[in-house]
Amino acid sequence: MRVGVLGIGKTPHKIQHSKSLRDLIVEAGRGALADAGVSPSDIQMLYVGNVGSVGFNYENSTGLMAAHHLGVVPAGAVRVEAACGTGAWALHLGVVAITSGLYDTVMVVGAEKMNDLATVEATSIIAQAADSKEEYFSGLTFPSGVALTARKYMQVYGLTEEDLAHTAVKNHHYGARNPYAHLRFECTVEEVMKSAKVADPLKLYEVCPMTDAGSALVLCREEILRDQPDKPQVYVTASQMATGTWYASTDTLEDAYRLFNEPAKRAYAMSGVTADDIDVAEIYNSFSIQEPLGIEGLGFAAPGEGWRGAEDGSTWMDGKVAVNLSGGLLCKGHPLGATGATQAVDIIEQLRGTAPEGIQSQDPEIGITACRGGPGAVGAIHIYQRIEGE
Amino acid sequence: MAEISRYGAYLPKYRVSLGDVQKFFGRPGRPRSRTLSIPALDEDALTMAYEAADQALGDHRAPGAIIAVSLSPPFGLRKLSATLARALGLSEETVPYDISGHPGSLSDAFALAESLVVSVGSVLVVASDYVVSFDERVCDTLAAGGAAAFLITESGGFARLGASSRFSEEIYDVWFLAREREPRYRLEVLFDASLKATSQAIKGLEKTSGEPTATYRHVAASQPHPQVLRGLGKAGVSGDQLAHTSFVGEIGNLGTASLGVALALSFDHVVAGERVLAVSYGAGEAVAQAIEIISPPPALGLEDKIPGEAIDLGTYYLWTRGRQAEPH
Amino acid sequence: MTVSAIEFSRLGPPKLRLYGMRCATCDVISPWWEKFHCYKCGGDDLTEVFLDGRGTLTNYTVVYYPPRDFLGQEPYVVGHITMDEGVLLPAPVVDTALEDVQVGTRVKATLRRMKLGHEGDIYYSQKFVIDEDAGQ
Repeated sequence: MRVGVLGIGKTPHKIQHSKSLRDLIVEAGRGALADAGVSPSDIQMLYVGNVGSVGFNYENSTGLMAAHHLGVVPAGAVRVEAACGTGAWALHLGVVAITSGLYDTVMVVGAEKMNDLATVEATSIIAQAADSKEEYFSGLTFPSGVALTARKYMQVYGLTEEDLAHTAVKNHHYGARNPYAHLRFECTVEEVMKSAKVADPLKLYEVCPMTDAGSALVLCREEILRDQPDKPQVYVTASQMATGTWYASTDTLEDAYRLFNEPAKRAYAMSGVTADDIDVAEIYNSFSIQEPLGIEGLGFAAPGEGWRGAEDGSTWMDGKVAVNLSGGLLCKGHPLGATGATQAVDIIEQLRGTAPEGIQSQDPEIGITACRGGPGAVGAIHIYQRIEGE
Repeated sequence: MAEISRYGAYLPKYRVSLGDVQKFFGRPGRPRSRTLSIPALDEDALTMAYEAADQALGDHRAPGAIIAVSLSPPFGLRKLSATLARALGLSEETVPYDISGHPGSLSDAFALAESLVVSVGSVLVVASDYVVSFDERVCDTLAAGGAAAFLITESGGFARLGASSRFSEEIYDVWFLAREREPRYRLEVLFDASLKATSQAIKGLEKTSGEPTATYRHVAASQPHPQVLRGLGKAGVSGDQLAHTSFVGEIGNLGTASLGVALALSFDHVVAGERVLAVSYGAGEAVAQAIEIISPPPALGLEDKIPGEAIDLGTYYLWTRGRQAEPH
Repeated sequence: MTVSAIEFSRLGPPKLRLYGMRCATCDVISPWWEKFHCYKCGGDDLTEVFLDGRGTLTNYTVVYYPPRDFLGQEPYVVGHITMDEGVLLPAPVVDTALEDVQVGTRVKATLRRMKLGHEGDIYYSQKFVIDEDAGQ
């Protein structure tokens, strides 16, 4: 499979009180359209990934709103939601739309406007991406649910909080060099350890901030991109989705592994590459522990070893596979509906060689994004390749 | 005849210094209680009743009836006893009854239980309160929370509910008007009225039972205020008889649970053959009842739970301020 | 999280007691929200079974940033408690110093207020306290 990436666009990731949800959608969408060199009337289908507009923004039907303001009417449009995996799901539907043969050119937008509400209210809405009715009834929140996984991981593999702190250090190193990131400061292991407790054992520098952002892609049939050799020849070559347990209470470390590993195996097979071929990866890490788990699930390290690359350099820029050169969600934040799409945009920039200087890796050819959602409910794997004309 | 077979009592863990509260509100004078027993944010009259009842019932989950006594049920227009029965997992045959009215209602519940056991075999009586009072008025009302529960059976118990005597007069000492949120009070009237009513009831019991007041090992009394206990002294009760059963000067006013907790404290210090005098008071009505110990029950160690764990004023404020707008 | 009084009535009564869902096909007990589907074997015949209330804390975290319903109670312990019947349930552990809680602590269920709905209903459920009778 080869789905052409005709254009990409994204907004800065930060608290943006002057911008509404529709401002973010239009800014990201127009950026992608301009990069693609197409106009809204060329778009035959619009997929808008957004998780919480009903709660955060008191508005619904985000896909239809976006269609109007982006000017893609009368093409079809729909809102996509799959918890934190929403952006990747919007991308998957865009890929499916192209590969089905029904559409030539489609647009994918992911956007979330989280900061119109106070933290307590926003936390309660984010919790609805898990089972807030029943499981979270017990006083759990997203951070504390993931904290339980972190403690389990530490227990099973005999790790310390310092071992896990290296992940935050690496992400912050690159986030500080990413002009689009929400948090742009470096930190040491000591500073991570001293940062305020959020949900034991997770600390402030190990959890992502609440961010407002949008990102977008214009996808097309392979031939359309091939016929424009002056455009960067980056293609989506695999798109595999999975579900896992909806409840933190029944989510084991094996489940976390399977959530990525099953679709990743299919994705590698689909694209004809292996884990060893991957140059750059964006792995979902709204909480630092998810990066080691993702590294293991994608086959970059053995179970229990995923954390080590942040300490020994093998997941840094010059390492075996560069993970989260964007600064990850820890620094970009996690605008729920945008994240999966932003991961794609960031990897595509790497493959094009257009990422900001401090975070651009050396000539990568093959990239992967791994997005997850809910306590352990969504797994989404995409592979991208720069394939010069044959 | 009816006997107490099992019992339980619950005090919330947390204590706020009444001196700190008084200082905060700029109230002069010595605090009348050292601390107040304060239920945590997630506790209320129902959850405290559950704790006490759970302890009292043990494995016995099918009493013939459950009587709940409270002046601060979380909900109006529904039976505290019914919700409590569900939470405890009682048999569907257990009939729930709510008794309210005044702070001495536990005595009324005992009287009703005595009649009821004849037909239903066993009755669980639970008294639980988180006394309603706001702002600086807690310095007068000593508003605190606690619960006690007693399983009443026809026979086989450790204590027998004996003769009782009542006194009643119309008085305005502590009262609500209809749906007002907290009681009005005249403390000086309370002290006089409780002295009068309890002395009359105690004298009445002496007369009908022939047992002098001095022969009771303990006196367990409703205690909304330390002055009420001092009044009992004038009714012929000695300091020794109150030594193990006084707590209002330590942890405050527990409303309808006050008598129950006093009784529970006495049961840790009895031997067979001794008698405990239960004295309840509320709104001009007093009941004095003799309780004969058949054999000492297993000790609950409730005395050790009196000191509790200190909370600061900020925590007290956080835990009580919101409750004023919410049911508790 | 606000829900309506009608929803409370629907969910309320069972929460007054601790229960799990036993699968008729594989006999495994799942948490109480698994009304439709046994996550172990996929069976769809599940019935309520009341739990004794005792269990072991097999994992826990301490929440410093609570949701609205738990404001004022932070920091509080939320644990995964493996009940003696085998099912794992999430629940707060209260009335304990943070230092006194560790993996392996024996706990038992008690009734507490969980949250208020916006229509004035009080949702009760189970929180856990350290099991004093367990001699630990």
